[in-house]
Amino acid sequence: MNQEGGRLKEAANYDVDRSLALWEIVSVITSCLIAEWVITAVAGASNLLIIVPIIFAFGFMFRSHRLRGESLREIGFRLDNFGKAARLLILPMVVESVILIGIGYFYSSIDFFRWRGGGAILGMPLLGIAWGLVQQYALQGFINRRTQIVWGPGLVSILIVAALFAGFHLPNPALMAATFVGGLVWAFVYQRAPNLFALAISHGLMTWILISTVPSSLLHSLRVGYKFIG
Amino acid sequence: MDTTRLKLFRLLIGKSIAETVFVALLAISFFFTAFPPYFHGFGEATPDSISGWAVNNRAPWDRVEVQLFIDDRFVASGVANLSRPDVQQAGWAQDEWHGFSFPVANIGVGGHEASVYAVHKSGGGIRRTLQLLGYPIRFSVDENGKLTDLVDRGPQNK
Repeated sequence: MNQEGGRLKEAANYDVDRSLALWEIVSVITSCLIAEWVITAVAGASNLLIIVPIIFAFGFMFRSHRLRGESLREIGFRLDNFGKAARLLILPMVVESVILIGIGYFYSSIDFFRWRGGGAILGMPLLGIAWGLVQQYALQGFINRRTQIVWGPGLVSILIVAALFAGFHLPNPALMAATFVGGLVWAFVYQRAPNLFALAISHGLMTWILISTVPSSLLHSLRVGYKFIG
Repeated sequence: MDTTRLKLFRLLIGKSIAETVFVALLAISFFFTAFPPYFHGFGEATPDSISGWAVNNRAPWDRVEVQLFIDDRFVASGVANLSRPDVQQAGWAQDEWHGFSFPVANIGVGGHEASVYAVHKSGGGIRRTLQLLGYPIRFSVDENGKLTDLVDRGPQNK
């Protein structure tokens, strides 16, 4: 009887955990949507108010990690599995780079020093890596971990992470396609070797290759959310 | 539900409430920035024009930019800077230079509806919004092109 009761309690806790994890994902998505769509629409893209939902999201994620007892190492801030993650990343990065260079060759738009002339922060590889670390932490260190609680590790959670990452880049079609593919690779690698530093370097490099090859007119200056249409 | 889950649940509720309040404040602030309740005005159909007055109560010495739409189509834009001493006498404006008049020509015989809007710029000039002055003006046009105001404004306003 006690054993049965224990099993029932465990099952109930499992369901509560999944529901909470799903809610956590929705909550972070909401903060992103507020930043991308609401604030840029009503207060302008350069408005400092954009910090508010970012603080809400990151404050929430940090607190959630603490409550769930997740260490920095578990989240992916570690070096011991850097080599494994890097090995997993190399082949898809090479394939993606070849495709992007092919697109650039087709449009005659290859310029690996384009970032010098432009003001886009993402064009600068080093800052791109730093920005990549922030994005990969939120996407993999938080959302991927929560999707694994809800749907378990594997194809479904990887697809959902990639779809969410593409969704954060709505309604920029080229960027959505690129981030969906990137999201698939990074989510897959993170589930096998959770190392955010390797993912951040990959993110920065792929962003640099993307904007150095694909015509700016197709990327719409990497604008997303209301900024894309506003 | 154990303590950890309960804390997480409360955290999620708290964040949701905080974000709801934040977005609500943003929406209210946006509404009053984009559509400030400071514009007052009036329009009517005269035999050959749509005329009236417009005042920005927050900046009573400013001249209000106005736009005329007839049957929901843009017709003309102008500035309400014509003499309307009656508006000043009635206490609606600090000075008399708040009138506008849009000549109406080349419009089909029959009934129409005109709307005059105050134009308001916000967001450093990147956003322009329109606010209806008074009420839509129903009028008819006869064969000679003369306009007749069809709005019943009640006995005291005739």
